[in-house]
Amino acid sequence: MPKPIHITTPWATPEEWAKLYPISKERERELQALVDQFKAMHPAREEQTVTSIKLEKRRKRASAA
Amino acid sequence: MPPLPDPKSVLLNIPYDEEFRSLYIAYIVGLCQLDLDPHLASEIPGSGRRLDRIFELIESCRYSIHDLSRVEVSVAPTAVPRFNMPLELGMTIAWQKLNPTLHDCIVWESEPYRIQRSASDLNGTDVYIHNGTPEGVLSELRNAFPRDRMPSVPDILEIYRFVHDQLNAILLKHGTSNPYSRSVFIELCWLSRSLADFFRYTRPAI
Repeated sequence: MPKPIHITTPWATPEEWAKLYPISKERERELQALVDQFKAMHPAREEQTVTSIKLEKRRKRASAA
Repeated sequence: MPPLPDPKSVLLNIPYDEEFRSLYIAYIVGLCQLDLDPHLASEIPGSGRRLDRIFELIESCRYSIHDLSRVEVSVAPTAVPRFNMPLELGMTIAWQKLNPTLHDCIVWESEPYRIQRSASDLNGTDVYIHNGTPEGVLSELRNAFPRDRMPSVPDILEIYRFVHDQLNAILLKHGTSNPYSRSVFIELCWLSRSLADFFRYTRPAI
């Protein structure tokens, strides 16, 4: 197996990556609409966070006990 | 000492052909999902010699992916072998040898052990095998560049399918049939990047 390269840099912010791939404001709006469409297809997940998922698991475990 | 490369930049040295479209999109989506920035030779504007521009890109990228899976010659009478990928890999190996702390290049293939026949000088080099599928590319990208809170392969596949579905509309918008052109590449990256944190915040870390 090849040796993996562990990425330890902090996750980029939207402002940081937007500079890398510049597109016009008008086109940005069009593409953002597509992205929103994708997100709308996954509404339940979008509302969840890592913390909320962990809390939910703990709640379920507690109620089962 | 050459300037430090962007720590997240990854040069994609891949075949620019019709059959490679799906894997091309998988590389873009997968890298963006791991918070890495894909770069392509066609993205550099300018009128200089193409090889000079490619070398500038190698210098500015911290990593490079060299996909040597297109070794076969098609049956078309005018078909010739594709030497661009091995040529650029050779340039990158030389650059890495001279500047080992500035660059890491990674070789990819679709079939295990084939590289020992197609480029035997690379014997001893560990190669990632993607089996010629988007799932294979995504899975191997996670193995190649592990990091905290990275999304799962099924999650990245969902984004891959979404971006893949947008390709024809993007091509139409830019009046081209070439998915490797600069403007199309930038929009594919933009779309992939805009969803880079979606599953990261909605699923537990794996």
